[in-house]
Amino acid sequence: MRRVLFAAAGLVAFVLLWEGYKLVGNPDGTVLFGVRVLPRADDLSMPHLWTVVRRLGRPELAGGRPVGLVVLRASGFTLGITAVGFAIGALVGLLLAIGMQRFRPVERGLLPYVILSQTVPLVALAPLVAGWNVLWADWMTVALIAAYLAFFPVAVGMLRGLQSPAASGVELMRSYAAGWWRTLVKLRLPAALPYLFPALRLAGAAAVVGAVVGEISTGTRGGIGRLIIEYAREATSDPAKVYTAMLGAALLGLVVAGAVSLLELPLMRHRRHVEVVTL
Amino acid sequence: MSAVVVDKVTKVFNQGRPDEVVALSEVDLTVADGEFVSLIGPSGCGKSTLLRLIADLIAPTAGTVTVAGKSAGTARKQQEYGIAFQQAGLFEWRTVLRNVELPLELRGMSRARRRARAEEMLALVGLADFAGHYPAQLSGGMQQRVAIARALAVQPPLLLMDEPFGALDEMTRERLQTELLAICAKTGTSTVFVTHSISEAVFLSQRVVVMSARPGRITASIGVALPSRDDAGRQSPAYFDKITEVRRALRGTPVTSPAETR
Repeated sequence: MRRVLFAAAGLVAFVLLWEGYKLVGNPDGTVLFGVRVLPRADDLSMPHLWTVVRRLGRPELAGGRPVGLVVLRASGFTLGITAVGFAIGALVGLLLAIGMQRFRPVERGLLPYVILSQTVPLVALAPLVAGWNVLWADWMTVALIAAYLAFFPVAVGMLRGLQSPAASGVELMRSYAAGWWRTLVKLRLPAALPYLFPALRLAGAAAVVGAVVGEISTGTRGGIGRLIIEYAREATSDPAKVYTAMLGAALLGLVVAGAVSLLELPLMRHRRHVEVVTL
Repeated sequence: MSAVVVDKVTKVFNQGRPDEVVALSEVDLTVADGEFVSLIGPSGCGKSTLLRLIADLIAPTAGTVTVAGKSAGTARKQQEYGIAFQQAGLFEWRTVLRNVELPLELRGMSRARRRARAEEMLALVGLADFAGHYPAQLSGGMQQRVAIARALAVQPPLLLMDEPFGALDEMTRERLQTELLAICAKTGTSTVFVTHSISEAVFLSQRVVVMSARPGRITASIGVALPSRDDAGRQSPAYFDKITEVRRALRGTPVTSPAETR
């Protein structure tokens, strides 16, 4: 309940900031020494929020379906790709982390490349991946790009989590004659959960970015990335429209973050007990 | 048959490197069945190392360790001992009951049987009412009792304890000492108990093994016979005599005759 209130308060604050700036801001933006330090506040750059909301209900083009529905459809399409990319990325990240925990040389050899992988610009990589596979559907390429961004936080976070148990815990498992596998299942994986969920949240956000950018750079139709590009072309005549597409992308991020939280709730329920009983 | 036989064991860490440390040098130790032996000594004397060697958590550089007539490795694989550390080291995601069940689970005991056994062990340490709690809800002393219950759960013939009461306040510590003695008497468990408290060693043990550092070795083995191991025992002259004797041994001036009475 509290969290809902806070979220609502955040939304209200955003609306007040946006509309407040529109009220007091210079329509041509504030220019200082030839550099624009504050954005334009005119209706073309920052349409009123109610204009954006109203735009959702009106048809895309004359006689077409309402923009809201189109955006929702596109978000749904991209959500599917994001989900596939996220799942693959999370799984790969998990396996990499386990591999790196199990074999120290693997950690030393692999971790630099895992970090390096994220410094390759996505816009350079995406067309390359699209070029590989003539057999694949476009959406698979996009999912692969999303996975490429999503695996990183999981691999790094999970490795830290798997290495988090104290030496006494590991020795205890050894004293029980538990091998590597049972130590992993009974000790390391549960101990890694508090590290896993923040990593999954990052991975979710990264997967959304990967899917949207992937759609744009591979020219995949039907998703929110394509819609952003299409609507941005009409920004001069219909400024509210591009914001509806961005709203869709934001919604996508929220849904993914919500999904991770749903996963977290049952698993982390007993990890935050703090009250102490003394006897 | 002896519970533990340590035969000419040497342990060198980082052998052949500039930071080479001789943790233990030619140590001999025998623990009889049902005997309670304390290892005491200054920091770095290798008492914890000796315990870890018995537990087969580390391997000796030279010499052999025999537990219950088997090699230390075999004994570990057959869970011939239970172990408790200074930190309770409970798994925070498991309830108290499931923490105690852990070693039984790894032994492949059926759910119903391990549950019954764990409940029995919790009753033994006086925590039957807290089976459903999570470790974070318990005080340090209660957590340590859970750790002892966990160490006892497989009903091992040997109990290894590494300063299990070190992090506790004096009152809790004394109460747990009494409880531990009662449990050991009841179950007939042999115990190797590492401590740096002289009074704790004397009160608990039938024999106090005094160690010295650099290189770690055993300098004295002092038998303790108290009239009783309770509050009266804590105030008996024999208790204070033995404390003096152990203290002198620790300082490197061992006494052969009983020390003067206080």
